[in-house]
Amino acid sequence: MSRSGFFFPSLLACFAVSFGIAVYAPHSQLGALVPSFKDEDGLITDVYPVAQGGNAATGREVYIAQGCQSCHSQVVRGNESADIDRGWGVRRTVARDYIFEAPPVLGASRIGPDLTNVGSEKWRNEPENDTLRPEKRDRAWQLKHLYYPKAVVKDSNMPSYAYLFEERKISGHPSTDALVLPANLAPKAGFEIVPSADAKALVSYLASLNRSSPLKEAGVIAVAAPVKK
Amino acid sequence: MTEAAGQSLHSLPDQDAFKMAPVRSAIDASVRPVVVGLFFSGLLWLLIGTLFAAVLAVKLHFPGFLNWSFLTFGRLAPASEAAFVYGWCSTACLGVVVWMVARLSGRAAPGTSLVSFGALLWNGGVFIGVCSLLLGSLRPFNGLEFPLAAFVLMFAGLCAISIWLAVTYRSDGSPGLGLMFVSGGVAWLGWSLFTGNLLIASQSVTGVVQQLTASWLASGVLWLWIVPVVLGIAYFLVPKVTGRPVFSGPMGRALFWMYFLTAGLISASRLSGGPIPLWLASVSASASILLLVPVLGAIYNLFATARGSEVTPSSPSMNFVFFGLAVLGVTSVLLAISALRSVDYAVHFTLFDVGVRTLLLKGSATMVLFGAIYYIMPRLSGCEWLSSSLISLHFLGSAYGSCMGAAMLILSGLASGSALVDGDSTFSQVIELGSSYFWGHTLSFVLLLGGYFLFTMHFLLMAARIGQPAGEATLLQSHNEH
Repeated sequence: MSRSGFFFPSLLACFAVSFGIAVYAPHSQLGALVPSFKDEDGLITDVYPVAQGGNAATGREVYIAQGCQSCHSQVVRGNESADIDRGWGVRRTVARDYIFEAPPVLGASRIGPDLTNVGSEKWRNEPENDTLRPEKRDRAWQLKHLYYPKAVVKDSNMPSYAYLFEERKISGHPSTDALVLPANLAPKAGFEIVPSADAKALVSYLASLNRSSPLKEAGVIAVAAPVKK
Repeated sequence: MTEAAGQSLHSLPDQDAFKMAPVRSAIDASVRPVVVGLFFSGLLWLLIGTLFAAVLAVKLHFPGFLNWSFLTFGRLAPASEAAFVYGWCSTACLGVVVWMVARLSGRAAPGTSLVSFGALLWNGGVFIGVCSLLLGSLRPFNGLEFPLAAFVLMFAGLCAISIWLAVTYRSDGSPGLGLMFVSGGVAWLGWSLFTGNLLIASQSVTGVVQQLTASWLASGVLWLWIVPVVLGIAYFLVPKVTGRPVFSGPMGRALFWMYFLTAGLISASRLSGGPIPLWLASVSASASILLLVPVLGAIYNLFATARGSEVTPSSPSMNFVFFGLAVLGVTSVLLAISALRSVDYAVHFTLFDVGVRTLLLKGSATMVLFGAIYYIMPRLSGCEWLSSSLISLHFLGSAYGSCMGAAMLILSGLASGSALVDGDSTFSQVIELGSSYFWGHTLSFVLLLGGYFLFTMHFLLMAARIGQPAGEATLLQSHNEH
C-alpha cells in the first residue's frame, strides 16, 4: 500500500495546479475589475459598463432560455480575425465589458452572426455597400425577424420564433404592436399577430447590446481615469 | 485462442487461474444487476442523445423542422450533447468502473445497494437536466448547461458510488495502470463537479471568470473523466484479452502523470481569442500540443502490448477498443493543430469544434465503451453474444457513422472558417460554404442510429441471457472462419 498511498495526494496536486492556473489566477487578475470612467474637466460624464435592468434584463433571460447562444456569439476578436471588418464591432471585447453579466453569454458557435453590438446603429452583417442591407434594424425589424427570419433576410438559416407571438382577433383598434407582414405571412382578415411579453423583452435586450465604448485595454485609447483636482 | 482463454492467461499460472474462476464468477454475479442496469440506462441515453443529434442535423438544412419551443435548435443542441456525455458516456463509464473495481478487489461485493442508489440519483439528475434544457431552464455555459439542481443530484449519486468503490477495493499491491486511470477519472469528476459548480453558484467568481470556470469543468468532464476511463479500460482489457503484460509499465505510469498535468490546462482553449488573459490562452494552447505526448504514448504502449497477438484481430472487444484508441490519437492531433493561433482564428466558432468533440465522444469513447461491454456482458450473463454478424454490423455502423459525421463537421468548419477570416466574404457565404457538408453529416446518423439500435437489441438479449452457450467466445466472423 506504500506506493498507492501517494496516488490520491499526487492527483490532488495535479488538480490544484489545474485549478490554480485555469481558474484562480485569472480570477485574481480579472475578479476586481471596475467600470471605466470618462472624465472631462473633473466631471464624470460617462461610466462603462453599467448593469442592465428592466426589460433588457428580462430579455437576457429569454435569450438564454431560447438557447440563442447555441448559434450566436457575443465576442469580437482582434484584428487578426475579420470580426471588425465584418461590422460586428469597432474594437475587440475585453473582460471589463462583461463585469456585470452573471454569467456573460459568450456563445461558442457562429451559425448566426455575432451579436456583441447588435444594438449599435453601426452594427452590420453585410458589406457596407450591400443593396440588401436593411435601412435600420429597429424594433419592428427585429420583431419581424424573430417571427419569420426569411421575411427580412432572404437566405437566413435561423428558425422562426413564431411561438413567441400570438395570433388574436382584433377587437376595436388594431394593436400598435401588431406585426406588419407581407401578404403570404399575414393572418386572416380580422386577426393580428402581436408579440408576447417575452418577444418584446428579447428585442429590448438585443437593442441594449452595445459594447462599443472605448476602453484602454481594448486598444482604443479614449478613456482617462478620474483625475482628482 | 478465445477471449475466455486469453483472460485465464493474465499473469497467472494455470493452476491459480483455475482456482480463481469460481471467485470471478461470484464477483460477476454480485455486481450483475447494478452493472447491467448502468449499461442499460446508458444505452437509453445513447439512443435519445443520438436521436436528438439527428434532428439537429436535419434542422441545419431545414430550420423549420419540428420547430416547437421545446425542440428549438438552441435547446436541443445542449440537450443532445448532455444526454450523450452525462447520460451515455458517464453512465456506461460508471458501469465499467464498478465491474473493474469489483474484479480487482478479488472477492464478491458484499452489497451493491449504494451503487443502485447512486445510479438512480445520477440518472435522475441527467433526466431532470435534459428535461430542464428542453423546457428552457438552462445556463449559458457551453457543455455545462444543466441547471444546478441536476448537478447536485448527479454529484450525490457519484459520491454514493465512490464510497462503494472505496469500501470495496482491497489490494496490498500498487495499483495497475487501468485502475490508476479510472480512479483518477472518478476523483477528478467528483472534485471538479463540486468545485466548479460551487464557485459559479455562489458567485465567488464573476464575469468572464465564470465562463472560464465552466470551461475548466466542462473540459475536465471530457478530458479528465471520460478519456482517462477510456484509457483505463484499454489498460485493463488489452493485457487480459491478449494474455500479455503491458508493454512498458514505467512508461505508462510516467505518461499517466504527464497526462493529468497537461489535460488539466487545456480548458481555456474553448475561449481562446475571447476576453481572457493572453497568457492563459498561450498556456492552454501549449498544453493542447503537449497533450499529444501522453495520449500518443499511451496509445503506442497499448498497441505495442497487443502487437503480434493472435487474439486481437478476431476479438470484438479488441476491435472496438483499438478503433477507439486510434480515433483518440487522431482527435488529439486535431486538438493540437487547432491550438495553433492562426488555425484557431479560422476554425474557432465554426462546426470544427463540434466535429472534434464528435470524434472524441462517438468515434473514440463510445467505441471503447462498446468494447468493454462486449467483454463484460458474457461474464455477467453466463452466455456468449448471439451473433457475430450483428457485432460486425454494429461495428461498421458506429465506426463509419461516427467518422463520417465528424469528418463532415470538421470539413464544414474548415470551409466556413477559411471564409470567416476573410473580411471580404459575406456572412451568407461563410454559412453557404460550411453547409455543403450538411447532407453527409445527416446521412451519418442513418449509420449511427442503425448501429446503436442493433447493439441495444443485442445487449437486451444478453441481459435476458439469450445467447450462444458459454465457453467459446463469439468472435468476428471473417476471422473465425480461418
